[in-house]
Amino acid sequence: MCALFGGSRDVSLFRGLSRELVGDIISQQAAIYKPQLAETKVNIYGETPGTRYFDEPVLLNCLISRDDQAYPESDLGIGFNWGVEFRFLRDDLVDANVLIEIGDIVLYQESYYEVDSTVSNQYVVGKNPDYPNAENPLENDLDQFGSSFSVIVKSHIIPSDKLGISPKKERF
Amino acid sequence: MAVIPIWPGSSSFASGSTPFGFYDSDLEFQQDADKVANFCARRLGYPIVDVELQDLNFFAAFEEAVTTYGNELYAYQVRENFLSLEGASDTVDVKNTLLTPTLNRIIDFSQQYGVEAGVGGNVEYYDGLVGLSASVQDYDLNAWAVEQGHDSGDIEIKRVFYESPPAIVRYFDPYAGTGTDLQGLLSTFGFGSYSPGINFLMMPISYDLQKLQAIDFNDQIRKSNYSFEIKNNKLTIFPIPKLTGGALKIQYILKSERASAAFQDGANKITDVSNVPYTNPVYSKINSVGRSWMFEYTLSLVKEMLGYVRGKYGSVPIPGDTVTLNQSDLITAATSEKTALIERLRTYFDETSRKNLLEARTQETEFRKQELNEVPFTIYIS
Repeated sequence: MCALFGGSRDVSLFRGLSRELVGDIISQQAAIYKPQLAETKVNIYGETPGTRYFDEPVLLNCLISRDDQAYPESDLGIGFNWGVEFRFLRDDLVDANVLIEIGDIVLYQESYYEVDSTVSNQYVVGKNPDYPNAENPLENDLDQFGSSFSVIVKSHIIPSDKLGISPKKERF
Repeated sequence: MAVIPIWPGSSSFASGSTPFGFYDSDLEFQQDADKVANFCARRLGYPIVDVELQDLNFFAAFEEAVTTYGNELYAYQVRENFLSLEGASDTVDVKNTLLTPTLNRIIDFSQQYGVEAGVGGNVEYYDGLVGLSASVQDYDLNAWAVEQGHDSGDIEIKRVFYESPPAIVRYFDPYAGTGTDLQGLLSTFGFGSYSPGINFLMMPISYDLQKLQAIDFNDQIRKSNYSFEIKNNKLTIFPIPKLTGGALKIQYILKSERASAAFQDGANKITDVSNVPYTNPVYSKINSVGRSWMFEYTLSLVKEMLGYVRGKYGSVPIPGDTVTLNQSDLITAATSEKTALIERLRTYFDETSRKNLLEARTQETEFRKQELNEVPFTIYIS
């Protein structure tokens, strides 16, 4: 037995359509900053009181869903929060060699958002070719079908002064 | 991560790029194939939007369009000329032949009537003599047929030579009792002394009918009433023979031969529309009218193809969601366009049929005559 639907040709079609829709028609982009952990010093609590270093940003097409801005009140005064969801085509991330993780920073419209969570469970025709399907005694060619299609990133806004990210020319 | 390329914006046709390769060697087809692919892609929105097809898809559609055009054209030609084509050699180069209609098949079709009327046809008439016996009025012709070596029930009697001639052939028979009493009338008017065969006087039809009845009555009353009946090949003759040794002549056909007459050897002949020796058209000889139709039909096919590509899945995933593409619009539009194009082509062919051309020419002649009738006639005074 073998699967019939969701083969590599179909996935290629979906990828092409998605890239056209997200990149050429909707055309929203966000930049990913990955922290350079080796360069960034942390204290005994795992905090980075000093300078934080990041890799060069990677600009990617994505779909963006914004929550309403919130202004919570606390003992410290009135705060500001803004949650944004970024939806990336997983193959774009693979091509760019970017693995988004919690704590990464996303630049969108001159604001920075810290990644709170990543979800990667959108499987084309319900199949994930990355799963070790070769061990499956009923269907041992499922690695040729389906696709883990997207990475959904949930984030919240973070003030830029807490990050210290600024163009190089200003720092030197 | 397999990447299946889609239309990149240009193509380069090579022989073998079409599914059947009917026209791959035609230089003009090769040139037009790339142009048609470009035309279709642009009509579908490229380069503003992607077209999820490859050059092979465009070439396949183009080949199908040319073949469809040829099919419609030659199907029309077959319909128009099949009476003249049927029975001809199946190796005739019909594409490069000017076809003149013949009555060949019409005459073949008419032979069946000739058989029944006894004036020709394609079934042999046999003569036979049925021996008569004294005091025997009924004769089983099926049994007689078996004696002659035929199957029982296979004969159909077409004629029995046992009847007085019909009254009409003795219209002028003076022995019929009716005479030609016109003579007195004609003589009165001074037209006497002519042969009755060449004298004609307009009389009402009832007169002729009465005269035929008079002849029949005469035969019945004054002559021996020879007659017969045949029911289910059982012959009954009147009067009952008084002597043995006579014979009654009949003519008959064999039903099996009549049934067989429907079939002729069709080997190496055109027997139906499927073996009329039309081949695919030569693309380079198709004029711009035909090619323009093919381009449009190719576009419809491509549109349909793209609709099926985009519609294989009801919804297409995008990051975190799904979308429905325009497959139903594409397929609906393509279907209606294809139908309209085929209808247009058939109408065009029908308008050039022999019947319609002759009708148009007749109308044109009538109109010309009407127009000329409007010109004042000049009166010459000499």
